[in-house]
Amino acid sequence: MFQQNGLSLDQAPPISVVFHLFLIASFFGILAGFMILFYQETIFDSASVGAITLTHTLTLGVMVSFMLGALFQMLPVIAGVVLSSPIKRSWWIQVPFALGMIILLLVFNFTAYSQLYSVASLLLGSSLLGAIGIMLHKLIKLPHHSASSHGMMVALLAFAITILLALYLTATLSGLAQGSYYTQVKTLHYHFGLMGWVALLIISISFQVVEMFYVTPPYPKILSRYLTGTMVFLLLLKIPLAFLLPSAIITINTLLALLLVSFAVITLYRFSQRKRPLADASMWFWRLGMGSLILAMLLWIISAFISHPLMASVTYIAFASFALSVVFAMFYKIVPFLTWFHLNAQGYYTAPMMHEVIHPKTAKKHFWIHRAMVIILLLSLFIGKLIFIAGVLTILSFGWISYQIIHAHLLYRKTEKSGEKFDMGK
Amino acid sequence: MTISSYMKDEHRECDTLFAGAEEAIALNKWEVGEKRFLAFANETLTHFKKEEEELFPTFEAQTGNTQGPTQVMRFEHEQVKGLIGKMAEVLEKKDRDAYLSLAESMMILLQQHNMKEEQMLYSMCDNILPPEIKEETLAKMKEVTI
Ligand SMILES: [Fe+2]
Ligand SMILES: [Fe+2]
Repeated sequence: MFQQNGLSLDQAPPISVVFHLFLIASFFGILAGFMILFYQETIFDSASVGAITLTHTLTLGVMVSFMLGALFQMLPVIAGVVLSSPIKRSWWIQVPFALGMIILLLVFNFTAYSQLYSVASLLLGSSLLGAIGIMLHKLIKLPHHSASSHGMMVALLAFAITILLALYLTATLSGLAQGSYYTQVKTLHYHFGLMGWVALLIISISFQVVEMFYVTPPYPKILSRYLTGTMVFLLLLKIPLAFLLPSAIITINTLLALLLVSFAVITLYRFSQRKRPLADASMWFWRLGMGSLILAMLLWIISAFISHPLMASVTYIAFASFALSVVFAMFYKIVPFLTWFHLNAQGYYTAPMMHEVIHPKTAKKHFWIHRAMVIILLLSLFIGKLIFIAGVLTILSFGWISYQIIHAHLLYRKTEKSGEKFDMGK
Repeated sequence: MTISSYMKDEHRECDTLFAGAEEAIALNKWEVGEKRFLAFANETLTHFKKEEEELFPTFEAQTGNTQGPTQVMRFEHEQVKGLIGKMAEVLEKKDRDAYLSLAESMMILLQQHNMKEEQMLYSMCDNILPPEIKEETLAKMKEVTI
């Protein structure tokens, strides 16, 4: 039961799967940049077509692809789960997923073709629910659970619920369902997606990687043991409450927000206690991410009492900054480490070192671009024209990431072709 | 004392030494850096020896499994040893960038290795080994030197 638990190469999925998914994610990110240029300030109105299209490009396109890539890589390493034939598996997930995404984004904008909602639902629903099913199945069978593997199960569960709720929405939009609960389901869909899937997955991965990458003391037991479970419990509680006692939702939201704030505060505190004092770009991405999460959640709590469209927009931007910053933070550790690790484990003693894969200065520059993007996006709430610069910076930011992935992949292939290798006796 | 707590303390000790060396070298304090690096290498290799010569064989005898987790752990020890060798080389050449780059790989490799031991292997040892054998293994591990 235990032999699956090594970081040996038979189990770590081929690195190309991870590179692929990350590259798809960054292409969606570039697309998001063009969308900002196209929809301009309308993206700040959360009910607009632009906002809905952009949100789904970021959450489904960017986040899901990044997270699937990270999960494919991390499940074997962190949780000791073996995903058999990962390449094949990932193709039958990737192709319908990408197709479904394109159709979904189009039909958001061309409502006359609302029948296409069912096609998008079928493609996205089957590929994503399939992927979730495989991972959950493997995770449930684990003999030993860590805070991280628990959290991942909970996050995947929240993701499945997000998709099921979405299916109700698309069924309504395509005329297959009456949609009497459309408004409630839509809010639940957003909350399960953002607070459930996105936040819970980031939390559960943090439980493992913060300690591992930065050599910090572990998270307090009470947090690592109960946080993800409590959050999903609160989210589930919202389903009946949304219909029976809508006035109680505010309390639940406040609790959820406070839990996330405490997570962010403790993470920042752990960083201050880290043993390796060097602060690289990934550390700054983390800090920006946690700072953004705190801002987003505090504003969300306040918005229950004083509601203002501007505040809603800032919350939205801050939450996006949280998710993207953390993804980038992990990216700059995962890609160089995997490249080095896979080659080193195959016996190439000319394997490029982590800094040769992505130089710390390259990562630092990206941090400046990303931070400028967040700030300018916030400023464009006041000075509308700035939105164009925010769009260009988004394209630049994800273009930067794409280049890093391609560079790492080429370096990897070059070493595999011409690198010098120990004879491992195989 | 449990195996977990004893071995975890050693892991933390290695982390501290390693971080100290990294910090010194980042500041171009080569002499201090080298001293701390050697202490780290020494501590780590002794710790590996304790595992490979005492703890793992005891675990294998108890479970009758020599191809399982301990095999993976041994493989990872080899990778860490390889990296220690490379780091010593670049330290000799006073190549700061190369050292910091290797340090990054080393830390991630070592952390994920230690986590697997702490979360799985050590706690399994504490659970399945009879108390006398546990005491004996601990005593023997404390004797190990390189
Ligand atoms: Fe070990
Ligand atoms: Fe150990």
